[in-house]
Formats: sequence, structure tokens, C-alpha cells
Amino acid sequence: MENVLSILFCLSLFYLSVTSRVKAYVTVLQMQGILLTVLLVFPFINHFSAYALILPASLFIIKVIFIPRYINKIILDLDIKRTIEPTIQQFTFLLLVVFVMTAIFITSHVLSKSTDIETIPFASGFSAVVVGIIVIIFRKKLIVHVVGFLVLENGIFLFGTSVASALPVMIEIGMLLDIFVVVFLMGIALNKISSTLSGFEVTALGRLKD
Amino acid sequence: MLEFSVLILFPLLSSAVCYFLKSTLSKYSVSLSVSILHLALSLMIFIGWYQPNLPFFFSTDSLSKLFLLVLSNVYFWVVLVSFSYLKRPVTSKAQAGKRYYFLLLNFYLFSNTAAILSNHFGMYWVAAEATTLSVAPLIYYYRNEDALEAMWKYLFLVSVGIAFAFIGILFLILSAKGSLLEGQQLFFTDFIKNATQLNPVWLKASFIFVFVGLSTKIGIAPMHTADIDATSNSPSPIAALMSGSLRITALLGVMRILQIVQPTSTYEFAKVIMIIGGLFSLFVAFIFMFKVNNYKRLLAYSSVEHLGIITLGIGIGGLAFVGAMYHILYNSMTKVILFFTAGNIHRKYKTREVDGVSSVLTLLPWTGWLFLLSFFAISAIPPFGIFFSELMIFEGMLFSDKPWVLAVTLFLMLFIFINMSKTLFQMLYRKNENEIASSEKERFEIIHFATIVILALLIAIAVASPILLRQNILNISKDFGITL
Repeated sequence: MENVLSILFCLSLFYLSVTSRVKAYVTVLQMQGILLTVLLVFPFINHFSAYALILPASLFIIKVIFIPRYINKIILDLDIKRTIEPTIQQFTFLLLVVFVMTAIFITSHVLSKSTDIETIPFASGFSAVVVGIIVIIFRKKLIVHVVGFLVLENGIFLFGTSVASALPVMIEIGMLLDIFVVVFLMGIALNKISSTLSGFEVTALGRLKD
Repeated sequence: MLEFSVLILFPLLSSAVCYFLKSTLSKYSVSLSVSILHLALSLMIFIGWYQPNLPFFFSTDSLSKLFLLVLSNVYFWVVLVSFSYLKRPVTSKAQAGKRYYFLLLNFYLFSNTAAILSNHFGMYWVAAEATTLSVAPLIYYYRNEDALEAMWKYLFLVSVGIAFAFIGILFLILSAKGSLLEGQQLFFTDFIKNATQLNPVWLKASFIFVFVGLSTKIGIAPMHTADIDATSNSPSPIAALMSGSLRITALLGVMRILQIVQPTSTYEFAKVIMIIGGLFSLFVAFIFMFKVNNYKRLLAYSSVEHLGIITLGIGIGGLAFVGAMYHILYNSMTKVILFFTAGNIHRKYKTREVDGVSSVLTLLPWTGWLFLLSFFAISAIPPFGIFFSELMIFEGMLFSDKPWVLAVTLFLMLFIFINMSKTLFQMLYRKNENEIASSEKERFEIIHFATIVILALLIAIAVASPILLRQNILNISKDFGITL
């Protein structure tokens, strides 16, 4: 089951690299949030306990409900144009993503021989980290950078579930809260950037240099 | 429970209290009281008059005791001068920044203390990310375009950096597969005890990710850019806080992982990475000192330089490591006074460009002379502490297996010193024909008082060399497997 979810997660990354609508990016975030929630709930299906649901529930609330809604609100409020304005061709971007993911899957497969890791979740998580960074590098819009950052965080989360035998719930929730506040602050900053620097793109940020 | 309340709960509570209080004076009083209590307890813990017994994911050792004292000390001085700082006139837009100032400052203390005292990698990560969140809105205090850009860059880059550090932590878990630590909680102490069982390949990967990730916060080149922008555009107490204590909190994360790596075969590799990071930071400071013409950016580059020296000292090991620990303490105090006095200069001349500043010594005699002395302190002129710590680091380098590092370091530092002094002396001495004639004499303020006390402390600690401090630093060295 973990493998199936991880592959679905990878598909969401491919969708991310072919779509050019900002809205679709947010939908991808929502999908990934749902996948991660299912991944967390799944081990407890046979022995249900309310305590075990605390983390999936908070993950669902933050990653599937709060953050996507908040980003959609920013897009509406700031009247950001619907397309993502790439700096490179969509097709080149897709090729890059495919190449990176292939490399990661092969490396993980090789590594799994010496260390006890589950190749598919491990590689999917790591792919999301790299795709997140590629999105940040090759997209101009700052709101898309925020989405890229969140994809990176989702990747780390997936990667973490494949590696760690669960961190204490308190710390996991602390991490989720941290990420939520980061996005919240980024949203506020974006609001200010659009009003004072009149732009939503990286090009608006070029004042500070030596 | 007392220590947990004073060090962690009180700052959190006073942060909440500051939200409800209306007057700046009452917020100031609450924050100052909390900071005094924090400083007193940190000092007692450091001296050994109080044996802390912290619950949950927290504990103390020699390293965290020193770092806690550095944080507490810097924070106290920053809070002390904050009231007079907030009274300064700002644009109407920036008035809003004052409202949350003390709230965020208290939250900063809470998150930093939690990070320093944490005994668990997960806890450290959560707290370190929280320090970014507390400081980012403070960078935007002036509510202008530059501050906004600086805040965005800092928030974004450091968050991505911290995410990388988390990948490093996950690699550390992977390195424990097949050892006694598999499936265990991520306590530093457990990992340090069983370090030799860890898988060296994953351990290397873990060190690189944690080091590179936290470099964004420490200000190690080439990840230093957001840090420079943030330090130079935030109000001077916040810049002092960032340069004096926030970078050190991030450095603690790297030192924790280094402590784990130390008994393993990965140690040499980690040392090389740290030396490269340190040298590259010095090189970046060396290049930019030639062209920078904004004095707050200049001070920010000086922070990159000194954190580079500290990283270098830790990487070299031996006596250089001991020197680096002293350097952490002295550098934090010196950075505080440099930014305090630079803030006064900014208030008078309304510009951060060096060209717009002249005759500081005549127009602002108190600030000017104290700025000059602070510059001497950071340039390692005796009897200020940095002279002794740098000497120790250099001696360590000379007698290490890489003496060439000393030659490179000295070359870079010589030019950094020349360029920095050229710029600062211009500000202090150069006469400008269209100078603002001012008959008003500079008043003695609390910032001057704080600067004088810190300068005196810098000399006193260095000259008296308290046994307690030396013993603590030797204990830290012992924890890192260094015996002199």
C-alpha cells in the first residue's frame, strides 16, 4: 500500500511539471496532503486508537484544508494571473524532472542493497524534494515558489515516513505548525510585496545587492 | 521545574502577555524582568550554583551551558536598549512594527532557549525553525521595500535551508539502521554514546545536509546572502540579536552532529568540510570588503568573517577549537556593541551609505568613540577578548597538520582589516563641506552605557580569564575528544 501511495505521489509530481495553471499547483498540494494522510492512517486500520489519529488529523487540517485555501485566497485577493510564467519550456522542464527522478530511483535501488530502505517511498520522497527545488528555480512567480517549498516539505514528510519509526507526536505537530506559520508569514509578505513593490515575481526583488 | 519555568515557560508566557498589554513601557518592563531572570539563572547554571534538571526533550551539558549564557547575555542587552530604541521617531507605516516588537522578542528568547537546551534532534529542528519565524517579522520592522525584500529572502532561504537540515537528520536515522539505535528516539546523548556503530556513508551525507542547511542561518558562504540582507536591513537591536546569538544557535546544530561524528571515521571528512566552509566565508568577506559601501552590510560581512573563523577553528581542532569557543563568546558581545553604535549613526545621518556619513567623532562624540573602540575590539586589538581567542585559533592552526590554513587566513584577514578600517575611519574622521552644523551636543544614552559596560566586560573577561569559563570550555573540548 505504501508503494501504491508513493507512486501516486510521483504521478502528482509529473502533473506538476506539465500543468501551467497556478490553480492546478494548489490542487496538487491538496492531493499530496490527502496521500500523506492516508499513508499515516493506513497502519492503524486494524488496531484503531484515537491517539494515533491526532497526527493524521492535524496533517489533514493543515495540509489539505488550511494551506491550500490560504494560497487560493492569496491568489484571488492579489488577482495573480492564472498561468505560472515559466522561465524554460514546459517540455524541457518535464524532461528535466523525468531525468532527475530516474536518477534518484536508480540511486535508491543501488543504495537499498547496502541499507535496509524501502526504495519506492524513499525515492518518491526524495524526488519531490528535488522537484520542489526545480520549481523554485525555474518559475518566476513568488506564489509558485511557496508551492515549490511545500512540495519539498511534502517530499521530506514522505521520505521521513519511509525512514523513521515515527517521531514523537508532539514534535511532528510542532513541525506541521512551523510549516503552517512559515506559509502564513510568506502570504503576508506576498501581500506586502504586491502592494509596495508592485509585482508577484522574483524580478520585483532586486534591490539588495553589493 | 524552576529552570524549565524561568528559561522556557516565562518567555513564552510573557510573549502572550505582551500581546494583551497596551503600553510600550509595561511590555518593556515585563520583557526586561524575564530577561533578567533568564540571565541570572543561566549565569547560576554556568557557574554551577544551580544544577538544572530539565524535563521532556531538554537537558544541559557544557556546550549548551556556554551557548545559553551567550544567548541570555546578548538578549538582556538588546532588551535593555529596546525601550529607548522604540521611542525613536519612525514613519507612520512603521508604527505598526512597534506593536509586536516585544511579543516577537520574547518568542525569540523562548525558541532559542528551546533550541539550545534541546537534547533531541526533532525538538532542535522545531525550535530552530521557530527562531526563524520569530525573527522574520522583526526584520520587517521599518516597513520599507528593502526590509520587505530582506524578510522574504530570509524567510524563504532559511526555511529551505532548515528543510535540508531535516533531510540530514533523516539520514542520521538511516545511518543507525542495524545498530543498537535503530528504532530509538533521536536523543543526542544516545547517538554520541553509540556513534561508532553508525553507517559511515549515511553519516557523511547527514553531516553535509545539516551543515549546508544550517549554513543559511549561520551565514557560512556561499549560503550567506539572505543573512547579510536580513542583518543589514533590520533595526540595530535585531541585527545585534541575529549576529550575536541566532547564528550561534544554528552553529549548535552543526556542533551536535560533529560531536556524533567525532569518534567515527567520518570525522576527518567533516573537519575538511568545515575548513572549506570557513575559508570560503573569509574569502567572501575579503572580496566584499573591497566593494561594499553600506556600513551595516559591512558589519554583516564582518559577521560572516567571524563565523568563518569560528568554523575554521572547530574544523582544525585542538587548541584552535578551544580558541573558537572563546571566540563565540567574545564575538557575540562585540557584534552587539557594533550594531548598537551603528544604529545611532543611522539615526543621525538617516543613511546606511558610507558616503553619506562624515565627522562622526565630532558630531556624535559618544557614539563615535565607542564605535571606534568596538571596531578595535572586533579587529582583535589587545586587550579586547578577540585578540586572545584569535591568537589561540592561529596557534592551533600553526601546530596542526594543515599550517597552510594559517597563511591563507592571515592573508585574507589582513585585507579585511585594512578595508574595514579604511571605510570606518572615513566615516569617523572625514570632513564634509556640506556638513550639517549642529550645536546640539550628543546626549549620553542607555545605548552608550550598555556599550561601555560590554567593552569593559570584554577586557575584564579576557584579562582575568576566569577559571570557570576556562574549565567549561575545556569540558566542551573533552566532549569533542580534544585534550590539550
